Amino acid sequence: MTVSTPPEVQPLPAEASLVDLLDRLLGTGVVVTGEITISIAGVDLVYVSLNALLSSVRAGGPGPVDYSRRLR
Amino acid sequence: MRSRTVGGWIVAERSVWLYAVGAGLDGAWVDGLRGVDGEPVRPVSAAGLTALVGAVDREAFGVEQLPARLDDLDQLATIARAHHRVIRVAADHQAVAPARLATLYADFGRVRAMLAEHAAVFRAALRRVDGRHEWGVKIFADTERRPGQPVDRPASGTAYLRQRRNSLTAREAALAAAGEIHADLAGSAVAARQRPPQDPNLSGDRRRMLLNATYLVDDAGREAFVARVPAVAREHPELVVELTGPWPPYSFAAVEEGEPA
Repeated sequence: MTVSTPPEVQPLPAEASLVDLLDRLLGTGVVVTGEITISIAGVDLVYVSLNALLSSVRAGGPGPVDYSRRLR
Repeated sequence: MRSRTVGGWIVAERSVWLYAVGAGLDGAWVDGLRGVDGEPVRPVSAAGLTALVGAVDREAFGVEQLPARLDDLDQLATIARAHHRVIRVAADHQAVAPARLATLYADFGRVRAMLAEHAAVFRAALRRVDGRHEWGVKIFADTERRPGQPVDRPASGTAYLRQRRNSLTAREAALAAAGEIHADLAGSAVAARQRPPQDPNLSGDRRRMLLNATYLVDDAGREAFVARVPAVAREHPELVVELTGPWPPYSFAAVEEGEPA
């Protein structure tokens, strides 16, 4: 990631933060064939637990993620 | 693809992980790219489109194990970064529609079928992001107490209410200012999208996030956009503005419903 460091804009780590990344990788707007699906042997299955993780990222509620650690 | 025989059925031991779709993603730069399972990334083409895929371990990346692995923060981070790395390299070379994390297919044939089935949608997506990148802007309230600023202890109920009102007014003003910055930046972008503020528990950032937005910007207008961010931030010293990017067009590759494909 490019770093932009004028005085009013905070300098950023060279690597994207995981939260920023997950915002994009799990968020809406990505072209996929429907939901987060896995297609094995012709059967599409929705990843319920990944959706649960996504909800917990969104809502900030208790979830499967260990929130006690800072992500970078 | 390797396979084994179980009860007379031939079972593939690898699944196909999708990274991104583009038009003709078969440049030499694909060679040497490694994916989420350390596997070589390869192009699979159909209908004039090319999917960047990798053959990953069917067990580790299957319905049994993958959800649990994605629930583990370290493994989620490793997989997310590997997925991102492939997409970022691809997006550096040409227009791509990134795939959501954990989009898997049984085999290469299913990937080709998917490309053919959704060809129109992918072409529209690629037209939308061609020559453009995504930039993120986060705005925080600068809530840190300045040195020497006394901690006001209200002397009376009236003083408390006044203090509380002032605080609420400041909060509303900060939100409004963040909204103004967003509108300003959206004016310099092809498209803009707001996300929910990030959870401080997840980001480790205790500052109050007022805006979590992302913008699709023409590469030709990149310098102007990047320069615009500190310019608008200067007008609002009470806010902290963070810029990230350039990102592959994660948030803008999907074609809006109703938009001609």
